Amino acid sequence: MTATHPLPLVGAPAEVALATSPRTAVARAVREDGATQELLAFEVDDAKMALPLGAVKEILKVAPITAVPRAPRAVLGILSVRGHITTIVSLRATLGLAPLDALPRSARILLVDRGVEVVGVLVDAVTEVLRLTPAEIEAADVVGAGLAEHVRGIGRPAGTSDVVVLLDPIALLRPLDATRRGG
Amino acid sequence: MSDEADRVRDEFLSESQEIVEALSRDLLLLDHGQKHGHADPDLVNSVFRGVHTLKGIAGMFNYRELSEVANVLEDLLDHVRLGRVTLEQRSLDVLFEGVEVLQRLLGAVRGESHQVDVASFRHAAHDLLGTGSPPTPDALEAYDLDPSLLGVLTEYEEHRLRTNAEQRVPLYRARVRFALSSIDTDLDGLKARLKPVAEIITYLPSVEGSGDDAIELEILLASSTPLAELRLLVGDAPIDVVPLRKGGSQTMPPPPSRPEAGPIVREEAPRPITAPLDLEKRGGEGVEGIALRAVAKTVRVDITKLDHLMNVIGELGIVRSAVGRIVDRLGARAELRQLASELQRIHRSFERHLEALQDGVLDVRMVPLGQTFDRLARAMRQAAREDTKEVRLSVTGGETEVDKLIVEELIDPLLHLIRNAVGHGIERREERVASGKDPVGIIALNAYQKGSNVVIEIEDDGAGIDAERVLARAISRGLVDASSANELDEHAIRQFVFLPGFSTTDVVTELSGRGVGLDVVRTNIARLGGVIDLQSAPGIGTKFTLTLPITLAILSALVMRVGEQTFAIPLTVVQEALFLDPDGVSLIDGREMISLRGTSLPVVRLQELFRTAPSSTARQYVVVTSLGQRRLGLVVDALEGQQDIVTKPLGPSLAGVRGFAGATDLGDQRVVLVLDAPALLDEVLSSEARFLAAPEPARGGYA
Amino acid sequence: MLDRVLVVDDSNAIRAFVRASLEATGHARVVIEAASGFEALRVLPRDRFDVVIVDINMPDIHGLEVIKLVRASKAHAAVPMLAISSEGASKDRERALALGADAWLDKPFTPESLLRSIDGVVEKRAGSIRGVGGEPA
Repeated sequence: MTATHPLPLVGAPAEVALATSPRTAVARAVREDGATQELLAFEVDDAKMALPLGAVKEILKVAPITAVPRAPRAVLGILSVRGHITTIVSLRATLGLAPLDALPRSARILLVDRGVEVVGVLVDAVTEVLRLTPAEIEAADVVGAGLAEHVRGIGRPAGTSDVVVLLDPIALLRPLDATRRGG
Repeated sequence: MSDEADRVRDEFLSESQEIVEALSRDLLLLDHGQKHGHADPDLVNSVFRGVHTLKGIAGMFNYRELSEVANVLEDLLDHVRLGRVTLEQRSLDVLFEGVEVLQRLLGAVRGESHQVDVASFRHAAHDLLGTGSPPTPDALEAYDLDPSLLGVLTEYEEHRLRTNAEQRVPLYRARVRFALSSIDTDLDGLKARLKPVAEIITYLPSVEGSGDDAIELEILLASSTPLAELRLLVGDAPIDVVPLRKGGSQTMPPPPSRPEAGPIVREEAPRPITAPLDLEKRGGEGVEGIALRAVAKTVRVDITKLDHLMNVIGELGIVRSAVGRIVDRLGARAELRQLASELQRIHRSFERHLEALQDGVLDVRMVPLGQTFDRLARAMRQAAREDTKEVRLSVTGGETEVDKLIVEELIDPLLHLIRNAVGHGIERREERVASGKDPVGIIALNAYQKGSNVVIEIEDDGAGIDAERVLARAISRGLVDASSANELDEHAIRQFVFLPGFSTTDVVTELSGRGVGLDVVRTNIARLGGVIDLQSAPGIGTKFTLTLPITLAILSALVMRVGEQTFAIPLTVVQEALFLDPDGVSLIDGREMISLRGTSLPVVRLQELFRTAPSSTARQYVVVTSLGQRRLGLVVDALEGQQDIVTKPLGPSLAGVRGFAGATDLGDQRVVLVLDAPALLDEVLSSEARFLAAPEPARGGYA
Repeated sequence: MLDRVLVVDDSNAIRAFVRASLEATGHARVVIEAASGFEALRVLPRDRFDVVIVDINMPDIHGLEVIKLVRASKAHAAVPMLAISSEGASKDRERALALGADAWLDKPFTPESLLRSIDGVVEKRAGSIRGVGGEPA
């Protein structure tokens, strides 16, 4: 079954999510078969994707982002979130998709806790909060090989024809570590 | 109630820390004194008292291990001060070890360190205590001492009196009267004058002579200086000195007639300088100084609270800039001019008060470098001992004040440099003698303020850094290309020691390394907004110069534009800014150079370096940055002005991006990157090493 | 409840400890601190105290001298006085008592033992004052 919740989308950052860490959120999603999972769904390049709701701290409207020369390709730049310098990554670039010429008005930045830091992830639009039962989720190992590491599974909300790619926030953002200097 | 408990515990921690720091300082002085044949008994007693206090308070706060170690150390010091254990190299080493253990235990209490090995110190102390000699018969009996006098002496004072009597040092009593209001300074003056010629055994406040605003002290002195000279030295102060009578007579000499209205001793004479060690000066204000000053008018503040205040001030600065922009916009509209000028006035007043507030908070954050230097002195001593080198430390500028946070971050880099100086700089005695140098090496630690910067120099008179060897190593490690290296001068070559991968594990010793190379030192200094420079002459010595901002909290920065993008650069590294004359740019060996007052200045276009969108500005600027001896011009499109900024770190995702020290919020919703000047200079100059193709071919011989 | 207690000790931590022990328990209304013998000499003529607590081991003017001076002064001749110091130096202890301290308390001490000792010296003095019938409270 699917439930859609209105999302608070305000200019000033709004709390949408629980204060669970992404690790526990992922761990719970994987371990606790039988429990309903809460996910934040969004659109990227016409595909529907979702992150565990617990991993998303806030949803921000897009503000002017300061580009950082020499940053990894996926990094759009930095933004000051209440005085805290926050790295903003493009989900499109992270997934190897072409950038948009112009940002749609619906574009949002999700503040995602990736363990070592909170980064902003730019998505084309946020759609809804999904509650999926185990029956509505196919785990990655069931779906089969060939899926990227950051795909946790595929969601198929009952009563719809939607296909939602369930992302693992830590694996998704792990490439950011590769740019770190080795010591 | 629990707040109160925390406060009392904080009090314990900071006092303990102060005591331990004073202990190590005093031990260093003792060590110095012992080597020069005179270990000041006052210092021994001051060390004893510090340990005694520490033992007491550690016990009250239930830090059993700390209290026990202090107890062992106290026993040992008690034996030393009562003459049962001689103060010599071996006992000093044990004392140093004890203080080191205390330091670590305190670290453990604060949760900084974990395992502290107490056993080895215990054993060493135990062994030493076994060597004590039995007390000698009482020589005090020869003196005709008033029992009421003895009754007020502590056991230690009695011992000092006895020791002096045994050594046949004449004893005197002196009477002096001080105003209560100025007694601290008056007494310090008296002490300073008497110290070189006499040992002050005790001050006995006299009951009869003391009133509500003045106090008469009877001072017991031991001195080998003739009485006439002693009187002369004590000077025109209303002090009378009489010898303590020996045997026979049943009464004390009549007290000298008291000056009537109690004139007050004013001490103007300069303090005698008795030791080459500059530490001596501060030694005088050690434990006593702290205790005498500790009127209950001070509070200790957690630095994070100051950080918070500083952040608020930073935010207010942003508000100020925003208001300033509104003033400008209002001023541009004729009908609002009146309003604009009113707002302008308020704005200025706001600005003034904000500055005062900022200065006030910054001032609170300032601490003198002295304590850090004491720690370095201890480290140096230890390094010298373990390395069997003979080194003397000379310190100046310990009173120079720096932001507390900077001081904390400085300790590791400075420790590293000091250990380096001992380990790699200072030669062994034989080598020094062979090359005609003083057998004892000197390491000088100097600090001074220079504008809004603090400069710290660590200089040794050792072997210097052999540029040839540095070059060979840099080439063998692939840090530099052999062919381009031809064009480097020695100074440039020596800077290779700062490159990552230059100093590697094979030169790391227990002492000078801890696995950290000079590149880390430089990175740490750069993180503080500072720069480090190295100068060296073979056979003469090496000097590291650290230039640091006085405070971290707020930096003055130059804001500049490159294409569409804005950057800030700390003014500490900006030497000047000038127009770029497009015709004045010459291409030398693939590197753009301009001529700046007769010298060649390599320049780099930030637009190219950062690959930002090209701009179409007609006029460009060169921002001349300098770092020690090295200079680089940054070509930018516009200068937007100077602004105080609070640099905030970039997240871990951007840790690998070179060239930026962080970012700052300029207040108009603009976040701008703060350039990491040292990194840029390195990147552009050292690695490519093409900039030195220019003049100066002079190479004075080979290293 | 005592009104004014003077604590003379060069250790900030000990003074803070004494202050916390006395003020927090309501044992004393106000604890006045002196950080050295000189401080004490400066404070003493200007004030009256119900109890004076003196550390023995202090630089320059040490506790024994403070005790002697306090006892010699008119205003404080009968003030209850508690000497505090670490164990050891038994001669110092004898001398402190000989000079007029009413009791000796070894460091480290607990708030409870401090309060007990203070009550002890106050009682002792109250008794002797009644006996002499002098000094008003």
